[in-house]
Amino acid sequence: MTIMEPRKHGDASDGTVGGRQTRFEGNLKVTGGATYALEYPLDGLAYAILVQSTIPAGRVVKVDAEKALAAPGVLMVLTPDDDMGLLVASDWGGNRPENQPYYPLPRQVQYNGQSIAAVVAESREQAVEAARLICITYEKAPHVAGFDDVAAGEGKVMDNLTSEWGDAETALAAAPVQIEGEYSTPREYHVAMEPHGLTVKWDGDRITVWEPSQWSHGMARSYSEWFGIPYENVRLVSPFIGGGFGSKGAALAHGAVAAFASRKLGRPVKLALTRPQNFTNYGGRAATRQRIKIGATEDGILQAIVHRGASETSTYADWPEQTGAATPILYRIENFSSQHRVVPVNTVTPGALRGPGKNPSAFGIESAMEELAYKLGMDPLELRLKNYADHDYQSGKPWSTRRLREALTEGAEAFGWSRRSHEPRSMRDGKTLIGWGIGCGTFPVIQAPSEAMIRILRNGRVEVVSGAIDMGQGTYTILAQTAAEVFGIPVDQVEVHLGDSRLPGAAIAGGSMLAGSILGAVHKAATAARDELIGLALNDEKSPLRDTGANTLTFSGGRIAAPRDQGPSLTLSELMAALGRDEIEILRNTLPDGATAQEQHQAWTSMAKIQGPTMGEYSMHSWCAHFAEVRVDEDFGTVRVSRIVSAFDCGRLYNPRLVESQWRGGIIMGIGQALLEEGLVDQRNGRTVNSNMGDYLVPTNADVPHIEVISVGIPDYGASALGGKGVGEVGIVGVAPAIANAVFHATGKRVRDLPITLEKLI
Amino acid sequence: MTRTIHLSLDINGRRYDLDVEPRVTLLDALREHLALTGTKKGCDQGQCGACTCHVDGSRVLSCLTLAAQVEGRQITTIEGIAAENGELHPVQAAFVEHDAFQCGYCTPGQIMSAVACIREGHAGSDEEIREYMSGNLCRCGAYNSIVAAVREAAEMA
Repeated sequence: MTIMEPRKHGDASDGTVGGRQTRFEGNLKVTGGATYALEYPLDGLAYAILVQSTIPAGRVVKVDAEKALAAPGVLMVLTPDDDMGLLVASDWGGNRPENQPYYPLPRQVQYNGQSIAAVVAESREQAVEAARLICITYEKAPHVAGFDDVAAGEGKVMDNLTSEWGDAETALAAAPVQIEGEYSTPREYHVAMEPHGLTVKWDGDRITVWEPSQWSHGMARSYSEWFGIPYENVRLVSPFIGGGFGSKGAALAHGAVAAFASRKLGRPVKLALTRPQNFTNYGGRAATRQRIKIGATEDGILQAIVHRGASETSTYADWPEQTGAATPILYRIENFSSQHRVVPVNTVTPGALRGPGKNPSAFGIESAMEELAYKLGMDPLELRLKNYADHDYQSGKPWSTRRLREALTEGAEAFGWSRRSHEPRSMRDGKTLIGWGIGCGTFPVIQAPSEAMIRILRNGRVEVVSGAIDMGQGTYTILAQTAAEVFGIPVDQVEVHLGDSRLPGAAIAGGSMLAGSILGAVHKAATAARDELIGLALNDEKSPLRDTGANTLTFSGGRIAAPRDQGPSLTLSELMAALGRDEIEILRNTLPDGATAQEQHQAWTSMAKIQGPTMGEYSMHSWCAHFAEVRVDEDFGTVRVSRIVSAFDCGRLYNPRLVESQWRGGIIMGIGQALLEEGLVDQRNGRTVNSNMGDYLVPTNADVPHIEVISVGIPDYGASALGGKGVGEVGIVGVAPAIANAVFHATGKRVRDLPITLEKLI
Repeated sequence: MTRTIHLSLDINGRRYDLDVEPRVTLLDALREHLALTGTKKGCDQGQCGACTCHVDGSRVLSCLTLAAQVEGRQITTIEGIAAENGELHPVQAAFVEHDAFQCGYCTPGQIMSAVACIREGHAGSDEEIREYMSGNLCRCGAYNSIVAAVREAAEMA
């Protein structure tokens, strides 16, 4: 990608790591010049449309495609009768069953809205028309619509998520003050603005896939394994992604269908999911429920937490939305017990959605803490500070950095918390009840290796090359800043190439792990390239810097010189010309030295090399505290969020302008979660009723007040090479309880079941 | 249905001729037939605003507009609002400056809405901007910055 010249703002330091550089690819995005997956013009393109099941469980007996095949422009109909000859690909851990056939259009129906047929035609309109003509005969089976269905049962305990220390039940029973509550969250969806879909083209046994991807290498691996072709034969291209939020990290069945159709037809194929299909073709956040019991002393010291949670999963895979993820680490707690179950129901397997686990978990514990505060008659801020965790009581390890105390106190100061009156319904503006609430959040630091290439070109430009992706988090920008800083050049002298599985490997843009990982690799490669250039400049007989007698060189203000102004200074292009070099190219990764090719492949295409937050000496996490103000119409029960102040400890910020945008984005998604978002299921047939953007409500501009965000973090060099912790996930965590707590403060009604809709308040 | 009709469309001051089925929407005509992919498809059912274009200066949802309906009218898309020399429209520049987007997918629709919102006289206050920009969803949550960008561009206009 060639980047148009970015506008420069403020001072020169904007272009270095930590500066407020405007978005590197900004001009492309505001002019319509950024090219997303379905926008690559290809000759001879055919259009595919999926047909989804209308029953929740059973078997496809017959697909009558006769009329569809006879419709104008139709090229192909694919059904469960077609054996595509595919094999199951590896899971995220890199594990793969041997020679297991893969049926992306399966005969067995496991949820309503499962893809079971596809129509390919000359035009999209023709494919849509023909898809309506397909007649499917089913043999129905009993179904479970959701985990509140009596037939769902209790599900099964996920043993790996059980966490216990001390003697929680005994300590709870002995505690003079106890609270207990059950908290639940509904199915929630990503609703990325860009629907899923892909354009795919074969050249012999080589395939190019243009598909929005949070992980170009991992998804390329799936295509190679499905089709039994070498990994090198797959090219997955994804320079721009219209939002992912966890949904675009894995190749999905529709990708296999499109690729198969393309190979069979010998033509490129474009397949776009309709907006409703985006609600069932892949999973959103699972519905959850959790029961929390807290025991405390009369002066508010926590004695025990007992947590029992459950989440929905599908009938064919266990995906836990871990309701006990934040519960053990937010507070000092000596006696703790947590268990999580998954309950299989007839849904598509749920998936990762912003702040997976931590998010519903924080809704539970942060609501429960405020319930305890009211039971004690204590300021909820004071209760939180009083039970501040000096270390991680779960792992027993010290925190790497934890500025949650500062987040709470500085957030409270900015919000004006001290002006709060404690009693519910005690603050109002005419007929509008006003309430204030707090919610804390956390997300682990997940570390992963990455690889990056730096090229110094003869024209003095520096290229950063990586298969990492940018779906709006700011990868282009912060990589350009990193290279600019290392070479002492302006950002507009840097080019960044991303989003292509043929480029050097990178961690997934998920779990808030990419920035810390890829910046480490780019910084390492850029530093090595600079060292190589220094070596040449000091030793090459053609170099004007050779005679300075210096043993190193400085890179500053776009010029290279010996320290303390000894001798000449040159620009990068002048030095490259003097050296007679066209290019210096350096590839570096952050794997241990001597990693084999196989280990490298595994690192870029699976999660096998990922490190969790407590795998080293420390316990490493991002932290935040949200302060929300709501205004509730006393007569109608309508809730408006009127003010939010959120303070974050995400370590060092590589670009505060972009970080603030991501934080606000997470908070806004949290406003949606608190007040609007709820996947509704028809119990009779397991159908997602509100599978569109008009009925599944996400926040609009008018739903969102000004949001003040504050950074209280300090660099954490244990968490990442350049000192940052994760930014993207943590923003949403704790928002919903902050709002629920504010609604309680305003109205005196405790809503434990999201979203907080008006019928729950009147 | 296989019959095609001939259309001559005036888009961004240029004439485009195309033969399409009468059921083809303006959005699909732009994206699939004319390689003008700056206009985005988010929902294809008039709910998200990503496909917002101008027809005779007013904002329309191109996914709910047939291409055949807009023959003889002036269509403006995101590709048509910067100056000939490439200088950004003040709304585009303000979006970059205020970081009023992340993934960029809703951005063309937001900008087309914003240009019209200002022209309509609906950018008088933050409250008014929020209301009149609420037909354009942004899942990345850039709303604060969108309001700031529209306000700044409105003050310059």
